[in-house]
Amino acid sequence: MMDDRTLSLRVAAAPLVATGLRRLHLVAADGSRLPPAAPGAHITLTLPSPAGARPLRNSYTLVEADPERGYQLIVRRTDRSRGGSHHIHDRLQPGDTIEATVPHNLFALHSQARKHLLIAGGIGITPMLAFVAHLREARAAFELHQIASADEAGVFAALLAPHPGERIQVHAGRDACDIAALLAAQPLGTHVYTCGPGAMMDRIAAVAAELGWPASHVHREDFGAAGGEPFTARLARSGIDVAVAGDQTLLEAIEAAGIDTPSLCRGGACGVCILPLSEGDPEHRDHFLSEAERASGCHIMPCVSRSRSATLVLDI
Amino acid sequence: MTTGSFTSRPRYSPLTRFPSARAHLLVADHAGIAPHAFAETCSAADFPERWEVVAHARVLPQPLGGPGVHQFRSASHLLTLLGHRLNAETMGLRLYAVGSEPFVWDVARVGREAGMGREEMQLFAVGQPVRRVVCVHCRTINPEVTTTLVTCAGCGVTLSVRDHFSRMHNTWMGVQCDAEAPGELPEVEDLCA
Repeated sequence: MMDDRTLSLRVAAAPLVATGLRRLHLVAADGSRLPPAAPGAHITLTLPSPAGARPLRNSYTLVEADPERGYQLIVRRTDRSRGGSHHIHDRLQPGDTIEATVPHNLFALHSQARKHLLIAGGIGITPMLAFVAHLREARAAFELHQIASADEAGVFAALLAPHPGERIQVHAGRDACDIAALLAAQPLGTHVYTCGPGAMMDRIAAVAAELGWPASHVHREDFGAAGGEPFTARLARSGIDVAVAGDQTLLEAIEAAGIDTPSLCRGGACGVCILPLSEGDPEHRDHFLSEAERASGCHIMPCVSRSRSATLVLDI
Repeated sequence: MTTGSFTSRPRYSPLTRFPSARAHLLVADHAGIAPHAFAETCSAADFPERWEVVAHARVLPQPLGGPGVHQFRSASHLLTLLGHRLNAETMGLRLYAVGSEPFVWDVARVGREAGMGREEMQLFAVGQPVRRVVCVHCRTINPEVTTTLVTCAGCGVTLSVRDHFSRMHNTWMGVQCDAEAPGELPEVEDLCA
């Protein structure tokens, strides 16, 4: 079981690094040392929800994690936000205290890789910043491709600040980066890491498979693949029906109904929130259940997965 | 046997072609790979590029790469060139090795050093069991051991060959057999038994 201790963090600084991008510098509220974290790790912040309902829990990658200097995050203000990023952008002030989980890592660099190929889309840059800092220090072979909208390319280029001789490229627009050519040119022993929109990561995984990359060399990080058609979750043992709104996850709806259920990454990766399913047609969006487990139809990961049928019956 | 119940003896499955790979390379320490090295659904013909050791003076250096059967005069020659080849390869290659156990694990080491994982390689050991035994006391490697007891070429003690294989070092573990009671040796057995 993963570590579920919480940390009390104080906002040391919260500068805006570009339009809609805020850097959060967090230190321990009591001035103590923070737990260390390897690049790719994330923490889950507990944020007040706008309506005064149950607090939101959002996971953010640590761009930098130093036990003495503190943690750094970069948060994008999203329009489709459930309120978490709006709270961070509009209300959070230096000096405020927020609660967070200890760092967990579901997106670690592979220690045996001979080369690391990093591909990010938009705000998916955040784990890459931690990776680049680590790979530079380790003098490891790496290459980074950042895909950004044309108007944001400059912002990401500034964040990445390539050193001379490094293969760090910012591509303005989705079609500016030839994924197939890029993957076809990689030497044996390369691992690819993707973070960004689901469709981009799906495409990279598909192209890699087509070129014969083993799945174990393809890594991805995706938080917050939420949203879809509303449906009803019937909690058979609790005897209640829970309405899941289009912009809400099944897990959030269950929590909002006052049912406590364990969760951790809230991104479909860690497997902690698994729930028994007894009826309905689930739309699996996680990376935890195998094809065979999906086919058996007995479980669902409520943090990301939804329902194709109007009602989903859970055995809780 | 002095091996006890614990074993880390590798098990081998007959070769099948990995699905969805860009290219396949089969290497063997002998020519004429026996059909039982392949699963029912496949044969040597499914591996158009093959590297084989044919210890013969008439084997001449050939240009490498691409389909065809390439011959080498020794396993060490093959392994050296395999390292060069893999360093120049791109992702999507699968590597297959058939031969003596020490040979197939040497191939696995070359693959690993080039960054290949276990899911990109298949090994199949053929022939009589031959073990490369490392003396845990003096680190001497004793090649081609076929019995449960062997005299260490380095320090001269009688080693008992444990059923413990290191995939990393490609050696079996040899431990002094009469350390507790000098001179008391069990009967020597054939490893094939």
